[in-house]
Amino acid sequence: MTEHVTQPELNAALDRLWKQFHPQMEERVAALHMAARALSMGKLGDNQREAAQSAAHKLAGVLGTFGMTKGTILAREAEILYAGDADPASAAQLTDIAVQLDALIRART
Amino acid sequence: MSHRILIIDDEDDIREVAALSLETVAGWEVAMASSGAQGLARAVEYHPDAILLDVMMPGMDGPSTFRELRKNPATAKIPVLLLTAKVQSNDQRRFADLGVEAVLFKPFDPMTLSTQIAGVLGWS
Repeated sequence: MTEHVTQPELNAALDRLWKQFHPQMEERVAALHMAARALSMGKLGDNQREAAQSAAHKLAGVLGTFGMTKGTILAREAEILYAGDADPASAAQLTDIAVQLDALIRART
Repeated sequence: MSHRILIIDDEDDIREVAALSLETVAGWEVAMASSGAQGLARAVEYHPDAILLDVMMPGMDGPSTFRELRKNPATAKIPVLLLTAKVQSNDQRRFADLGVEAVLFKPFDPMTLSTQIAGVLGWS
C-alpha cells in the first residue's frame, strides 16, 4: 500500500491535534488527581471512582497514539486500580500516577 | 485504491487521530460518527467499505451497534473492525466471538493503522 505522507509530516499533523486536545488530556488527569485525593481521605464515592476509571481508560487509549507509551501504561494501571472497590491503600500509588501523567502531558507541547 | 471508512467513536481525539491517519497515510475517504445511533444512520447513507467501531461508548456500545448493523440489510455485509482499549483476554475473546472482522487495539500507531485494516480485509 502506498503511503501518502512521511512519518515527519504525520508527526507534524499529530502535533497540531495534540495542541487541540491538550485541554481535555489535562481535564482527565485532573479527574485522576481529585479521585486520588478523595480516596486518600476515604471520601471516594462511586460516581467519582467511575469518572476516574473512565478518564484513565481514555488516557490509556489515546496517549500511546500520540507516542506516549509510558502514559498508556500508567493510565492502564490507574484504570485497573479504580475498577471495582478502589483500595484506600492504593491512594499514594494513584497520586503518583496522576503526577507522572501530568508531567508527561506537560512535557509534550 | 481509495476506500471509504466510517469511524464510530465517542472520543473526539481518537476519532480525529484515526481519521488523520487513514486520510493522510492511506489516502482513504473517512466519515465519522460520535455515537452508536449516529453511526447506524451514517452507515446507511455513506455505505462505507468498512467500519471502525469503538467498543466502549455511552448509550449504545460497540457490540450493540454491531448487532444493529448486522440486522439491517443495508449494512449487514459491511466489514466491521472493533477498536478497543481493553486488553484483558476474556474481553478479547468476547469481542472476537461477536463475528467482527477483527479486533484492533488502542493505542494504535497512526502510521500503520491503515496497513492493519488493509491486511485484515485483504485490501492491497
